[in-house]
Amino acid sequence: MIRFEAVSRRFGQGRPAVDRVTLEVPAGQIGVLLGESGSGKSTLLRMANRLVEPDAGRVLVAGRDIAGQPVEELRRGIGYVIQSVGLFPHWTVARNIATVPRLLGWEASRIAARVDALLRLVNLPPEEFRDRLPAELSGGQAQRIGLARALAADPPLLLMDEPFSALDPGTRRDLQAELRRIHAETGKTILFVTHDVEEALVLADRLAVLDHGRLLAEGVPRDLLADGAGPEIRRLFGESGLALHRLATRAAAALATPGDAASLPALPEGATQKDALLLMLEQGARAVAVAPDALLRWDDLVRAR
Amino acid sequence: MLAGLAAAAPFLLGLLSLAPNRLLSPRPAGLPLTTPVLLSIAVFLLAGLGLALAACRARSLRLAELLAVAMMLALLASAGMAAEALLRDASASARAMPAAGFWMSVLLVCLAGGAAAAGRGAAPSLFWAASLLGGSALLLGGGLESLSLLKEAAARGPEIRAALAQHLALSGGAFLLALLVAGPAALLALRHPRAEAVLMGVANAVQVVPSIALFGLLMAPLGALVAFFPVLRTWGIGGIGPAPAVLGIAAYLLLPLASSFLAGLRLAPPALLEAAAGQGMTDRQILRAVRLPMGAGVMLGGLRLAAVQAVGLATLAALIGGGGLGALIFQGIGQLAADLILLGVLPVVALSLAADALLAGAQTALGARA
Repeated sequence: MIRFEAVSRRFGQGRPAVDRVTLEVPAGQIGVLLGESGSGKSTLLRMANRLVEPDAGRVLVAGRDIAGQPVEELRRGIGYVIQSVGLFPHWTVARNIATVPRLLGWEASRIAARVDALLRLVNLPPEEFRDRLPAELSGGQAQRIGLARALAADPPLLLMDEPFSALDPGTRRDLQAELRRIHAETGKTILFVTHDVEEALVLADRLAVLDHGRLLAEGVPRDLLADGAGPEIRRLFGESGLALHRLATRAAAALATPGDAASLPALPEGATQKDALLLMLEQGARAVAVAPDALLRWDDLVRAR
Repeated sequence: MLAGLAAAAPFLLGLLSLAPNRLLSPRPAGLPLTTPVLLSIAVFLLAGLGLALAACRARSLRLAELLAVAMMLALLASAGMAAEALLRDASASARAMPAAGFWMSVLLVCLAGGAAAAGRGAAPSLFWAASLLGGSALLLGGGLESLSLLKEAAARGPEIRAALAQHLALSGGAFLLALLVAGPAALLALRHPRAEAVLMGVANAVQVVPSIALFGLLMAPLGALVAFFPVLRTWGIGGIGPAPAVLGIAAYLLLPLASSFLAGLRLAPPALLEAAAGQGMTDRQILRAVRLPMGAGVMLGGLRLAAVQAVGLATLAALIGGGGLGALIFQGIGQLAADLILLGVLPVVALSLAADALLAGAQTALGARA
């Protein structure tokens, strides 16, 4: 869906901000760019809607080189969410969400229907929020509106630049779950930038780790955190926490064995091995239920490497 | 306290003075004790007493403000009627003008009215509106026409109207001209730092030159221009007259306009501009939908300042033959005729207050909407 081919970008003198990165996010997946500040992850993201132009290499969206496309048209076809939300303070929520549809010249009735549908999608009652001004929203609500606005014209690709970084931990976790749900409902391709390791593991279908403008590693999170992970990856994820993060990349069901689990604490569907471990610690149990007839034992969990 | 002083001032300092004609110095005149004058003075004093009592209690401050209005109107009416009575047995060219006591009392009543309004945390708009309304009614009803200021005004009616029109044309023309230059210049400066340096450099430099000197500086090049292209003279352009005045005033307005426009255009935070661009807005759309509405308050503030400055500076146009109300003022100064000076000054003050109030209203309306 989106593909970077050997893109580089240098600002002024010194090291390039992005250095010959080749990367692809397949259609319908969430690709996460993970890195510390100055790693070039935001610059790379901003090349996808030409807020930054690469010095070398090319970017393809849906198989087409974007360098030749009219820039406004390209941007109207890509959802964009940023950390500071960037809602227009003098416009109502509805008017903000309608930004791109209006630019595209939709009819008023179609826009109104779309705004209400999107507000429901991000779990905000339309009649309550439609006419509010951004100043009357909490941080989490504002970011939901930011997400709704990015989805307004139903673009196949969404760019999200640290959208949840400024939020409280609780709100952040809620919104991560919401994004997962919305992604499952809409099937969008998402390129998501973060510096938060846990957030990256919660969201990523594919994970790319950047450091000083270079791509350190790329792939499904489970493979990236496998035993052979290089020193930079170990440092980024934290030497001591690596084992726990690794558990977060694996499904609990993978280690389950058949047996009667009716009396054990139950894991939700799709839970990871990290969830299983935390549930055991929380409940003081040596085994948890993955399904009514399948359970995951403490011994299997700690032996699995 | 203020009310007491206001009530006493006319008696201590004299309400009116009388002069044999419009140029000679006036002498204090005694109050003519005719019935209407006495009645009116009684109302004035009673209102003063009431005001002093009402001002003591917070609950009756609104009443106090109204009593201040009554005091003001009674004072005006007393002066008007007393002047009429005085002139009845004087020569036709004699003038009766308000004396120090009258002015002092007007000032003190204004202060008392303002204090009463401020006491309940409000702007003295009730006091001003009612006083202006009542004053205009007295004026139109002919109650004041014996006062020298109005005699002078009656004698020079067409002249004043012409000067007022000229003044409006001078300040309005300069304002529009400066607007036409500052608007595009601010847009240019927004994109190009070097253009900004030039624009602000020029605007600041102009501001440093004294205004009369600037008018003088403009005379030479414009004069030369006309000598070169005589056709320009037929359009009314020349070294002296309205053209250099309008240009000079416009040059002064450049700084407040350009700097407030630039500040307004830059008010939108960078993240917001990026969000706008990232959604596919063109530069023009970002300007119209984001930069202008967000900066409108600041920009209107600049317009307000520039409009008031334009009205004030247009007074100086008279010095280089540009006409306007300044012509009356300088003529009055030359003749030592206080009434004539006032006739020039009062409309200037009224004009700038009106321009300010108009744009302030626009600013408030904008603030309420945003």
